[in-house]
Amino acid sequence: MIEAKRKLGLIFFPAFDWAISPTHPEREERLLYTQDQLWEEGIFDIKGIVEYKPDIASEEDIKRTHFCIPNVAAVITQSHMISAGGAIKAARLVMEGNADRAFALVRPPGHHAMKVVHGNRGFCNINIEAVMIEYIREHYGHRRIAIVDTDCHHGDGTQDIYWHDPNVLYISLHQDGRTLYPGSGFLDELGGPNALGKTINIPLPPMTSSEGFLYVIDNAVLPILEMFQPDIVINSAGQDNHYTDPITNMNFSAQGYAILNDKLNPHIAVLEGGYSIQGALPYVNLGIVLAMAGVDYSGVVEPDYHERAIRQDKSISEYIAKICDEAVRNYKRFHESFSHHRAIGQFQTRVKNIYYDTDGIREKQVESVMICDECAGVLKIETVSSVNPLSVGIEIPFAACSRCRDVGVKLFREAKESGKYAYAKFINRIDREYIDS
Amino acid sequence: MWLGLDVGGTHTDAVVVDENGIVATAKVVTDHANLIQSVQKAFEQIFRSYPSDEVKKKLKRINLSTTLSTNAIVEGKTENVGVIVSSGPGIHPSHFKIEQHYFPISGSIDHRGKEISKLNAEELRKAIDACKKDGIKVFSAVTKFSTRNPSHEEQIRDACADADFVTLGHRISGKLGFPRRIGTAYLNSAVWRLFNAFADAIEKNLVSMEIHCPVHILKADGGTIPLAEARKLPVESILSGPAASTMGISSLCRIAGDAVALDIGGTTTDISVFADGEPLIEPHGITVGKFPTLVRSLYTRSIGIGGDSAIVAIDGKVQVGPTRYGPSMAEGGDVPTLLDAMNYLKKISHGDVDLSVRGIERLAKEARISAKQLSLMAIDFAFTTIKEAVDALLKEVNEKPVYTIHEMIEGKVVQPTSVYAMGGPSRAFLPLLEEKFALPVHVPNNYAVANAIGAALARTTYEIELHADTERGKLSIPNIGKFESCERNYSIENAKIDLINHLLSHLQSIGISITESDVQIVEASSFNIVSGFYTSGKNIRARAQVKPAVEITLYSRNNA
Repeated sequence: MIEAKRKLGLIFFPAFDWAISPTHPEREERLLYTQDQLWEEGIFDIKGIVEYKPDIASEEDIKRTHFCIPNVAAVITQSHMISAGGAIKAARLVMEGNADRAFALVRPPGHHAMKVVHGNRGFCNINIEAVMIEYIREHYGHRRIAIVDTDCHHGDGTQDIYWHDPNVLYISLHQDGRTLYPGSGFLDELGGPNALGKTINIPLPPMTSSEGFLYVIDNAVLPILEMFQPDIVINSAGQDNHYTDPITNMNFSAQGYAILNDKLNPHIAVLEGGYSIQGALPYVNLGIVLAMAGVDYSGVVEPDYHERAIRQDKSISEYIAKICDEAVRNYKRFHESFSHHRAIGQFQTRVKNIYYDTDGIREKQVESVMICDECAGVLKIETVSSVNPLSVGIEIPFAACSRCRDVGVKLFREAKESGKYAYAKFINRIDREYIDS
Repeated sequence: MWLGLDVGGTHTDAVVVDENGIVATAKVVTDHANLIQSVQKAFEQIFRSYPSDEVKKKLKRINLSTTLSTNAIVEGKTENVGVIVSSGPGIHPSHFKIEQHYFPISGSIDHRGKEISKLNAEELRKAIDACKKDGIKVFSAVTKFSTRNPSHEEQIRDACADADFVTLGHRISGKLGFPRRIGTAYLNSAVWRLFNAFADAIEKNLVSMEIHCPVHILKADGGTIPLAEARKLPVESILSGPAASTMGISSLCRIAGDAVALDIGGTTTDISVFADGEPLIEPHGITVGKFPTLVRSLYTRSIGIGGDSAIVAIDGKVQVGPTRYGPSMAEGGDVPTLLDAMNYLKKISHGDVDLSVRGIERLAKEARISAKQLSLMAIDFAFTTIKEAVDALLKEVNEKPVYTIHEMIEGKVVQPTSVYAMGGPSRAFLPLLEEKFALPVHVPNNYAVANAIGAALARTTYEIELHADTERGKLSIPNIGKFESCERNYSIENAKIDLINHLLSHLQSIGISITESDVQIVEASSFNIVSGFYTSGKNIRARAQVKPAVEITLYSRNNA
């Protein structure tokens, strides 16, 4: 019998009775062939790999993380509560010592869901990693968390949620936004005024193969993680960089994904995208499971894999090397200190226009954050969309300083009293008060 | 009239049952070196105690539950097998090596049953030659995803032309699980000769006694298969003992809701679970020795606590079991046991109580605690251990992963409202069990031979799985050897009808007549196969079973 080197908790929830629509890539049988492969391989008979049922996330878990307009119940379905609950279960297994590593192989995904939610964008309603991370911080108090997003699409939702948080490092590897949805994730997107350098984007050219991805891990991701020193590393394990994926243009392989996971060695992995349900997912998921458990994955090779056919061009390798240098330089630039030129106690504002491709919603936001040298800074987002009137969300962030807390309480009271907003949401992490009204 | 015979670890029990209850019983000490003789002796006792001509005439069936294969496997006394496997992408098959004659061959089939690469004939020939050179006579052929496409396993079988027997992996079960398929196919060939010799001897015995009714073998899932079928799938005979007890209790007691059944023996207590009055089935397959298998089984757990479990006292701590050194001191044993502790506290009056008292007092003196304290601690340890094992099993049942939102939200939670106990010491244990479980505990009459009654009354069970891929136009029901083409418009409704018809006709072909109402569709799902953004076919999976059941119930004649 095979024995796992690391105890792995696997939360497998394929949601066989849920789809966005019958032929949408995010549909019932997305994990059907993955289940076939995992069962046929006898994954759950490997000593040390245990399958668990997901938890069901509570409304409070969502309210702690998102401003849902008009409210939580209106923007989610049971399926989202279960996939977020799957991620939470993965976190609990690791945090409570029942597993060394955990993989939430769940759907629907979440990394395009932003702080404010009016509907579904990029197949996502709520950000299941963010809901999980906030659960971890609320219940176990960990502060420094790194997310490495290896989905082919830029995780603009996760980036948005952690844009201001200096204690959550978000690194995304993805196909260059000039060639793929959502069209963001460029090198100069580095985080808000309180968290510069804690968002790192590594946009890769189409046709990047395993060589390129693993180069980025070795030469950018691992060195940056080494500097950041996280308590917990989380992998947003999208699988749409695969050479057979129908909606992207990359040339990554199952073996490459397994090696990437082996090098990164994340505490928790959460499935994101990946829509080559027959040619890629069964093998990529198997590779990730084996790598996380520390079991030999050398035999995980797709039936139609030809290394030479998907080898990357030399010019791509050179381009990637340059991008990596710049990403590491960007991180280092702000790693030491970046506080001297900032107007502490002032608000900085940005305006955002957001399109929800799945639901066809247009949203406009004015986001203000207090510049703070002690915490992520109190946050205020005014939002209006094609489906909801002007609303507001105020957040007193996790581990907020007392000034940001007091300002947050005042801002929320003023917002309520002003009568300007159809909905006023409040996330108060200090007093654990979450108002969804 | 039905005859059940349960070859157990200590005793071989036999009963003859008819609509009016027990007709005759027999109990002989099991001779592990000669099981045939134990069976023979039990038969003789039965027919001595009852007018044998009448029994022979009225007997509808004989069901045998035997530890023959299990013991051979656990003790490693099995025949060498040539195991030939092919795998393809995934975990390397070398990790599943079972014994010396294990040969991974190149060639692979994918999850939809498409041949990815041909089986390498040259490697196959070399493997078989190597086996022949070492005198190997039985083989197992197992390939990955053979339940979707058995052609590679068939090629291996054809290449083993002069073998005595070849087990094909896909004929064991329609379930996925390559490593389990390898292990199960291996075990099947490893006990094939032994089991067939046993079957020959049984048949010869019965002929000599002029008994001509059908003979079935009891399986771990609480059902039976005809002896002729068991000759091809002897692995199905493993670990049927706990199932015999579970089926016994379901014929002796009217179990309506969720319940726990305990079979308390001398050495062990077997736990099984009922949901809505039916015994639960293990989702994957039973484990025998070090081998997880695809053999269908009731959801049972065995723990090392029984009436004869020895009491051990070390550093003020008192433990019971898992060792049994012999009978309790009350019955002339050398070491104080759980039963002796109960005798000491006057909870029961079993055998020679004075011997129990003396033994407990001696052990208490050695452990420097009072005899009363020792007895109380021993009993508490034993019943706490049983309760904890039941709780752990229920937790496992209720935390079983599910794969749909519907099951996640609406899924059934098993919450027992009563406990059923059987086996030798169960009557004596009743008050203590009631106290521990805080539930009503029922002990039926005839509790000491419930296992043999279960064996006698168990009916045939069967399970088949259908997989249809309408894009490829392929349909398979692997364990009955159906691999056919299907139409593009084949639907989940067609699948359900086909399952029922195939199951009925297959069972008829092996001499079992059942009606459509005995067949249950356990699950059925249909998924779209989408190419590009268009639906190009359907992937249909469905499973049907003849569930475990007893021929007749005896509870109207019973106090429980």
